[in-house]
Amino acid sequence: MSAGAKKRIMKEYGECMAETPAGMKINFDEQNMTKWEVLMDGPDGSVYAGGHFKLEIIFPNEYPFKPPVVSFRTKIYHPNVSNDDKGSMCLGLLRPDEWKPPNKVVAVLRLIQSLMVEPNIDDAIEPSIANEYKENRKEFEKNAKDWVKRYAK
Amino acid sequence: MSSPEPIPPPNDRRSSRASSAGMDTADGILPVGGPPNDPSPLQIRASNSLNSKNRRSTIAKQPPDLHLLEYVSQPDSNLVCLICHSPFDRPVQLFCGHFFCRECLDHAWCAQQEGRKTCPTCRSRVDPEKDVRPVPKIIETMLDELVVKCPNAKSGCGWVEQRVNVNDHVMLYCEYTLVECAQHDCRLHISQKEFHKGCLHYTVSCEDCHTSMMKKDLEDHQRTACANRSTNCLHCDASLLRLDLKTHIKDACGKVITPCQGTIVGCTFTAERAQTNLHEKSCPMATMAPHFRDQQARIERNEARLEPLTRKVGILEDGLSSITNMLYPANDSASTFPVTNPWIPTSPTPSPSNLVPTPTSASRPPRSHPYPKTHRSPFTNPSHPFDSQVHHLLTLHESLRDEVNRIANALTDLEGRTNMMVMNESQRTKDDMLHTNAAINGMRHQLHWLISATLQQRNSTRTAANAASGSTSGARQGGSAARQGPSAGFHAPLRRLSDSTRQDTKL
Ligand SMILES: [Zn+2]
Ligand SMILES: [Zn+2]
Ligand SMILES: [Zn+2]
Ligand SMILES: [Zn+2]
Ligand SMILES: [Zn+2]
Ligand SMILES: [Zn+2]
Ligand SMILES: [Zn+2]
Repeated sequence: MSAGAKKRIMKEYGECMAETPAGMKINFDEQNMTKWEVLMDGPDGSVYAGGHFKLEIIFPNEYPFKPPVVSFRTKIYHPNVSNDDKGSMCLGLLRPDEWKPPNKVVAVLRLIQSLMVEPNIDDAIEPSIANEYKENRKEFEKNAKDWVKRYAK
Repeated sequence: MSSPEPIPPPNDRRSSRASSAGMDTADGILPVGGPPNDPSPLQIRASNSLNSKNRRSTIAKQPPDLHLLEYVSQPDSNLVCLICHSPFDRPVQLFCGHFFCRECLDHAWCAQQEGRKTCPTCRSRVDPEKDVRPVPKIIETMLDELVVKCPNAKSGCGWVEQRVNVNDHVMLYCEYTLVECAQHDCRLHISQKEFHKGCLHYTVSCEDCHTSMMKKDLEDHQRTACANRSTNCLHCDASLLRLDLKTHIKDACGKVITPCQGTIVGCTFTAERAQTNLHEKSCPMATMAPHFRDQQARIERNEARLEPLTRKVGILEDGLSSITNMLYPANDSASTFPVTNPWIPTSPTPSPSNLVPTPTSASRPPRSHPYPKTHRSPFTNPSHPFDSQVHHLLTLHESLRDEVNRIANALTDLEGRTNMMVMNESQRTKDDMLHTNAAINGMRHQLHWLISATLQQRNSTRTAANAASGSTSGARQGGSAARQGPSAGFHAPLRRLSDSTRQDTKL
């Protein structure tokens, strides 16, 4: 990774520290600055409220020309998060063809937060959960809260 | 002469001859120049100037990367590149109005698919040939004026200035820039500050803790890292860095035995420094000592300054005597000029006899020579030099002025005569031309008359033929011819009338 990209990541970290979205905490290791650990509280009013989620943001070598890779380390019942060990997310500006170099990590964090309040059904990675969200909201909410209790306390 | 060249030393025979031979050309400048190994005052000054101390070390580091600079204050967000999040470095503008660093844009395009370049911000298609334009001048100026810290700030450089100067600072002036080691075969780098110490890339062991490290890191280690770096003074028990022990004992320790400062003037007091300091307050010799030291230093400085001045005076005197020799050839002595002793300016020298040539010297009467014998006598007699060199120069100046005046007068005279001659000559030519014109006119008249005469003759021949066919009277023919005569004369000039009559009678 180039010195310029590292510098940019440092700057972005500074920016994130200055205006961290509410309920988020970033663990930053200067030795390995391409891997951020984000601790996020489930947004109030959402089905995930009360849960604590651990996310990982990995910056590729080509950053900022390739998007950062976001994954949930804590299991979460969500149509936009893959229901496996990876817990990966790939939508909106995180798609390689949607990503623009001027985008910032703060925008990524905000996107994640808004998705937890309101999942994006049209761009779901887990069609069954999306379906459930659409057809049987009660069941979805029950499952999601179940998972929060089980994994995110 | 236009340049402040030193006056030429006299021992350049060739040049003085050249000047005598070529006074009428621009060669008058030629005599300047001395022996090659004789430094001119300019050279002496130049060798003392800072500029001549060129930096011999080569910069090992690349020019500073503007993306990595540290800015003193948060730069205006409008000056920040959206890709690298630093203030622009050589920015360009796309036609859609978005700005990027040249390098960032190239990187962004590298990451994009072949052949399709878009603006990283708005994704509009971009033709790299046509749509990339330079940014407005004011943007560049604002970027240049951003205040940055030296990239070597971590190593200790405190330079803080406008960004436009950072390249010069790092490449030329920064003491902390890494350069290649002075040792030829050493591949390592060392800061500019320590370059003159030679190669410091050998392993040493710290005397105090027996850790091995490179020599260049030793001082830093002993100052900040060494486990064993502090010690106590043997004399006063103060605790200090080992590194500073020597200077402490030499200059500061209160318990070390030192003599009174006044020793250089004769005080014999010697005691521990604390007591000596007390003594010095009351010792008159100690109070005087700084002044004496100052004086001493001043004397040394002046002596050092005197040496080049002496040389300069020598050179100037050399020059003066060479001028002298050029003006007054002292051909009564055969000894060569004393090159090794330029302090005798009036030494005679054998030189070409005609050292004051003028273009018209051949046609000039000898009495007009501007340097009569009386002027020359001081030179041929070294025991009676001029009262002063200044007086001598003034005299020279006066006689040169006279000479110039005389030449100017002669020139005016010559000009008048030439003008007169030209006028006379042209008058004569004019007269000649008038004569020629008149002659040509006469010839034209004559020609005219001749043509008329020929025509008339032809006419009369025709009439005669007619008459012959009509009648045979010879008298009629004669009468008709006589009648024709006056009519032909009517066209010819009047004064030619007699000619025509005569012509007629010939017929
Ligand atoms: Zn940039
Ligand atoms: Zn654009
Ligand atoms: Zn510096
Ligand atoms: Zn070396
Ligand atoms: Zn040590
Ligand atoms: Zn001491
Ligand atoms: Zn004393």
